[in-house]
Parts: sequence; C-alpha cells; structure tokens
Amino acid sequence: MEEIGKNESIRVLIDPDGTVIAEGDIDLAGGPLLDTAILRIEGSNPIVIDLAAVEFIDSSGLRSLLSASRRAQGRDTVVILRKPSAGVMKLLSITGTTDQFQIEGAGQ
Amino acid sequence: MTTPESNPVTLIVPPIATMVRVGRLTASSIASLADMSVDDIDDIKIAVSEMITLLIQRGNRSLVTLRFETTPDSFAVEASTPASSLDLGRNDVALATAVLDAVTDKNEISFIDDRILMRFTKATGTSTTSSLA
Repeated sequence: MEEIGKNESIRVLIDPDGTVIAEGDIDLAGGPLLDTAILRIEGSNPIVIDLAAVEFIDSSGLRSLLSASRRAQGRDTVVILRKPSAGVMKLLSITGTTDQFQIEGAGQ
Repeated sequence: MTTPESNPVTLIVPPIATMVRVGRLTASSIASLADMSVDDIDDIKIAVSEMITLLIQRGNRSLVTLRFETTPDSFAVEASTPASSLDLGRNDVALATAVLDAVTDKNEISFIDDRILMRFTKATGTSTTSSLA
C-alpha cells in the first residue's frame, strides 16, 4: 500500500491492485491529493476509487471525480466508485452526475 | 433540550483550503446545539462547505467572514469576502449554487461594495435525504 499523501482533510493511498483509496473528506483541501493519486493510476482500465472511508464530499471534491471520469471516457474506459457512502451518493444525485460513474456497493 | 436564543456566532478564517473544514465543523456544532436533525446538519455542512470554497476561490485572497445564526426553526449563515468581480456563469460557481439550491431552503449570492456576499437559510426538518429516499 503506497501512501500518496495526507493533510487535515484526507489521506490517499494506492493499493497493490492499483485502486485509489480515499479516507476522510474530499473538499478543497482533499481534492488535490485525490487528483494526484488518480493521475498516478491514469493508465489503469478501469480507474477504481474506493470511497468506503470518505465521510464528506462537496462540489470541489466532486469536480476531481468528474475530471477523472471525463479523462477516462476519452480513453474509452470508466471510473468505478467503490462503496460510496450515502453522503457521496446524495451529492451525485443532487448534481445529476451519478451516471458519470460506475457504482459498486453503494452505502445506505 | 432547550433551543438556544438567537445568539449569532461570527467566524473569520484565512483564505486557505483547510479552513473549509473548520467552517464546516463550526456550523455542525452550532446546528447541533439548536437541536437540528442529523440529516439537516449534513445539509448545512454541505452548504457551508460550498460557501467557503467559493469565497476562497473567487475572492481576492482576503479573510472570509461567516456569521451563523439559529432560531427555533431555522439555521442561517451569511458569509462574505472582498473580491474584484463575480461571474455566476463559471462552471464551479454554477455547480456550487446548484448544490446550495438543493440543500438549503433559501439562498442568494451577490456582489456588493467589492465583496462577494452569500446567504442561506435552512429550516428545521427539511433535509434532502428524505426527499431522495
């Protein structure tokens, strides 16, 4: 497991399978670290981001995920959001962006 | 639990990314003192995060001032920072205001006297969670 970085908002890792794991809050402080990790695995097909330990996300964090999705679509692949919490699913729903991702194991 | 009287709380933060979390946690604490539900508080945290983020990104790198006020049936926040302009058509601003529209009962954003000014009100028991279920 490689730690890409951490700050007051988030800790981001990449596991041996190339899955990005985010822990904490994806906001203005957390988004850039998530971007760094996603760019590191950009060649993967698909891009898998584990959000099981994400407690909060706002639109600045969502933009990181949407940017990854747009780049992935340009390479004819997808971004899989694994185990997104109810909070993540809520933000995707209210912004109408759920269909930009493949969702695996959404939380309640 | 007794609902506190309307005693405004003012928070002034520097325009750095980690302060978004500070504002969010402050709002959460005040809202919980006002007996708001967990779902309402979740909406308030999103709204405050959107406000501070927008003000940091579109302001002119000056302090961001937030004023939190509770009443027996609502929670209101007013926030502002100096800025040279405000473009409501920018993608990030449009996305933030769309989120604010979804999680608050009333909100507004304006540019007055060289400041971006934002306000929102969240009434008790109006969380978006139940409407999404």
